[in-house]
Amino acid sequence: MAISRSTYGTRRLAIVLFACLLVALLLLPSQSQRLLQYVGGPLGQVLSLPLAAFSSVDHGIADMWNGYVALQSVHEENRQLHRDIELLKGQNNQLRESMTAVQRYETLLNFKQQSPSQTLAAQVIGRDATNWYRGMILNKGESDGVRTEMGVITPAGVVGRVVKTNSTSSVVLLVTDPNNAIAGVVQRTRDEGIVEGTSHGRARLKYIPLLSRVQAGDRVVTSGLTGAFPRGLAIGSLIQVEKSEGDLFQSAEIEPEVDLSKLDEVLIITAPYEDADAAQKLLQAIHGDRKKP
Amino acid sequence: MKFLLYVLLALVVVPLQTTLLHYAGVFGVRPDLGLIAACLVGFLGGELDGLILGLMLGCFQDMLSAGDLWINVVTKGGSGFLAGLAGRHMAHITPAVMTAGLAIISCLSSAVFLYSMNPAGLDEVWLGVRSTVLVQAGLDAAVGAGLYLLFRQRWSDDRMVTEGAL
Repeated sequence: MAISRSTYGTRRLAIVLFACLLVALLLLPSQSQRLLQYVGGPLGQVLSLPLAAFSSVDHGIADMWNGYVALQSVHEENRQLHRDIELLKGQNNQLRESMTAVQRYETLLNFKQQSPSQTLAAQVIGRDATNWYRGMILNKGESDGVRTEMGVITPAGVVGRVVKTNSTSSVVLLVTDPNNAIAGVVQRTRDEGIVEGTSHGRARLKYIPLLSRVQAGDRVVTSGLTGAFPRGLAIGSLIQVEKSEGDLFQSAEIEPEVDLSKLDEVLIITAPYEDADAAQKLLQAIHGDRKKP
Repeated sequence: MKFLLYVLLALVVVPLQTTLLHYAGVFGVRPDLGLIAACLVGFLGGELDGLILGLMLGCFQDMLSAGDLWINVVTKGGSGFLAGLAGRHMAHITPAVMTAGLAIISCLSSAVFLYSMNPAGLDEVWLGVRSTVLVQAGLDAAVGAGLYLLFRQRWSDDRMVTEGAL
């Protein structure tokens, strides 16, 4: 009963205080504002501590949300962008490669158009199956008209000759193989010889006349005496002339004109001269005229 | 079935040898996968298996090589057969034995190639031995031993006597 009375008294006291506060606020607004400010200062300071704590927690949660949970999509987006970059890099590389290939084809086409020979473009698809021959495999074979002994060139010069064919591919023996021999002539002195490959991956011009004044730096071209190549195709440059006492001939080492390790496309000479029939008829006519007297 | 498997193996090994293997070359010399395959099958499967696979591989390799048409057939077939004979007389094949055996057979095979090249003199023979024969023997032995270790789990140590199966 005592508790009930006390509660009642407190409530009445609270109502009276609240009423006084309202009256004071209505009748003395400025003074009550100052009073409240005066009392609110320390209260604000007291409140600032939990406020800062809660605020930091709030920021922590927000950071966690934004940095981890909400960033799931950003992470995925980042991965997608990385994939896009890789894809674009690949495409860029392919385009560069295509551009290089187009330039090579353009050079090859220009050479083909200017060349006096009938040629067939082919791609290098492999190297010799053994380590013992310097050869390469082309993607053109008998079904494309390729036959053995046909010459193989690039715009830079002689590559080799076809030694094996099947219906879809052919094998070329490079000019640097010791088993290869091509008739060559020194461009400056017009001395003829036979170009053979060496064991060191170069070529050698053999059977140069002893009195010849060939020297290092002279260019060697095809003589046109053998059927596979027309006259005047570059084979290489002399780098060292050797003349031993007692020998009947000189010989010289040749640096091939074509970098044979970096070949992608080549031309196969299907007919050394464009109008082979006309040339044949002309030769026959000349021989015929000679026989008449 | 085994014959078909060998045909497939040959159809994989030879194009691989002519196209991608130059990336694995040392001083411009590549391991001879055909020889390694023939020897491994010979060692583990018997001389007939080695001979047949060697002949097939050699035939395919000859088609894609500038050399004479017989040389790979003879060397690869012979290598497979020789490996089979060697394997038959061994109680237990270890990686060391495989390495030594492959190196010896590779040298013998290369000697046939060297002979067929008609070297001008001893200098050229020595050059061929130094620059190609020894390097290729080392590569063949290393690759062969590696493949043997890789596939040893799949083969039992007892040799498969399969002449009748072919």
